[in-house]
Amino acid sequence: MDKEIKKEERRKRGFTRRDFLQGLATFPVLGAFAWAAGSANRKRRKTTGTSASSTSEEDNKNELNVALVGAGAQGSVLLNSCLLIPGLRFKAVCDIWTGYNLKRAAGMLKKYNQDVNSYEDFGEMLEKEKDLDVVIVATPDFCHARHTIASLEAGINVYCEKEMSNNLEEARKMVLASQRTGKLLQIGHQRRSNPVYRHIYEKLIKETGIIGRITAINGQWNRSFQPDLGWPAKYEIPADKLKKYGFDSMHQFRNWRWFKGLGGGPIVDLGSHQIDIYSWFTGVNPSSVLASGGIDFYDRSTRDWYDTIMSVFEYNADSGILRAFYQTINTNNSQGYFENFMGEYGTITISESANRVGIYREPSSPAWDEWVNKGYVTSPLIPQVTEASEAVLDVRESVPQEKYGIPVNFTDPYHKPHLENFFNAVRGREKLNCPGETGFETAVAVLKVNDAVEKGITLKFNPEEFKV
Amino acid sequence: MTGKLKLSQLWALTLLRVLIGWHFLYEGIYKLIKEGWSAAGFLSQSKWILEGFFRSLAENAAILKIVNLLNIWGLILIGISLILGLLERAAAIAGILLVGLYYLSTPPMPGLHYSIPMEGNYLIVNKNLIEMAALLVLFLIPTGKFAGIDRFIAIFRGKNEI
Repeated sequence: MDKEIKKEERRKRGFTRRDFLQGLATFPVLGAFAWAAGSANRKRRKTTGTSASSTSEEDNKNELNVALVGAGAQGSVLLNSCLLIPGLRFKAVCDIWTGYNLKRAAGMLKKYNQDVNSYEDFGEMLEKEKDLDVVIVATPDFCHARHTIASLEAGINVYCEKEMSNNLEEARKMVLASQRTGKLLQIGHQRRSNPVYRHIYEKLIKETGIIGRITAINGQWNRSFQPDLGWPAKYEIPADKLKKYGFDSMHQFRNWRWFKGLGGGPIVDLGSHQIDIYSWFTGVNPSSVLASGGIDFYDRSTRDWYDTIMSVFEYNADSGILRAFYQTINTNNSQGYFENFMGEYGTITISESANRVGIYREPSSPAWDEWVNKGYVTSPLIPQVTEASEAVLDVRESVPQEKYGIPVNFTDPYHKPHLENFFNAVRGREKLNCPGETGFETAVAVLKVNDAVEKGITLKFNPEEFKV
Repeated sequence: MTGKLKLSQLWALTLLRVLIGWHFLYEGIYKLIKEGWSAAGFLSQSKWILEGFFRSLAENAAILKIVNLLNIWGLILIGISLILGLLERAAAIAGILLVGLYYLSTPPMPGLHYSIPMEGNYLIVNKNLIEMAALLVLFLIPTGKFAGIDRFIAIFRGKNEI
């Protein structure tokens, strides 16, 4: 009864000012939310470096004509990255494994509406394709110089996979050819364009020197055992054709990385990427190397190059001397791959696999709060201190280091930024991150490791010495 | 209801509603604008009795796409509803169901461990469960008719009882 009356009153009273204000009382929260979310998004984009779309529209109107030479495993990796980059028009693909690699790459490009001409012979391709802007060279190392120099001389810019050559004389000729022709030569040390590596180099090594003087580097690439690469019988290349292109057998063609005269073995395939970072971050080339290695685990009759190498470089950096260890093994992948830079104030652990990146602060280091506030590093996670860990803390042990992160989120394929840097340089917008000159310096450092193993200048133990 | 709520109590409940709404809305917006976001990682972590169900959602690409869309837009719409006090009771129920799914997918039952980073330590009760309980309070004591668009709806329908 009472309720009915109230309802009537309410109806009569109608819509009041208070109803209006209170009904919309929480509306401004949406505005505050929009501002906060917008600001969070802008900050996120700033750190991930999402590029503006206006340049990609411009690029689509002004396409670069591209040819891929060498469409094997690495060629496919580069191709997949290229297909994510706007403004490229593939014109030609060249590979001597016509029935397999060449067919696969051309078919893949066709799916993306890029109709290409297929070639077995590189010379024929250069002769017939007159409007190329760019050649991507992903052939075996011993072919790099031939393909690169011929392209540069035809007036074409070249992205050449690392190692730029297995032969330093040829590598030198590649650099000279790019200088002579004025055409660009980028070497595929793709970490040089990786946003994680660039952030660490520019902000933490160069600008702030966050870990102080670096005294030691430790880099490793540990890889599982892999059986020799095989091939489907129906796609076997005839012996005379293999011979013409420099291979003794189909086994050698498929596993060229392991053969002297063709490739450089794991120290070149894997180590080169990481030893390149040593020189980049320290700012100098090594002054010496000693190394021990061998074909310890694989079948010696099926390969020439060492499956296991441990090496020590010395660097005379401006900040002082430092020593760098590098290991590659091909039996077991524990610890994977990483580079570890250790300085007086902390350690930078960096890896192409992003979840391994960490910046560790020495307890005695000056505070890093300024770098956290500037957004160069992210605050450490609160360490999980448990009673058990305190119990084992012993006077000889140091206080554990806090682990900081970096605010860079990189989820693209590894090679994409390096290819983008190259294409942007061709368009005159950027400088190359790894020009031939830089690739040459790394080749010198890396190929010397194989020399050091071969020469084996070490102090030998005589079994007698161990007897009392 | 045993008695009328005090003004301060009503505003406190409104604040709770707005805060939960903000949380839902940002969870949705973040997933919407983050390129390549997917529930697959979360779902594939699922443990306990509904493990098989949640993991199967992550395994089928077509289903996963639908799950992602429903999740993102569910979060955004519930968030806006709660902030504005618009259809609050429906939003509260939808929120309880949605967060209930998260809870059931990765419940902090004794002996279960997850590799998703968590900032606290939980046993049976976690923040999902607490948010569900808070939404239950909002469902039972709605404030949209006090401070929210639901007030206009109530007036048009001739009711203004809280």
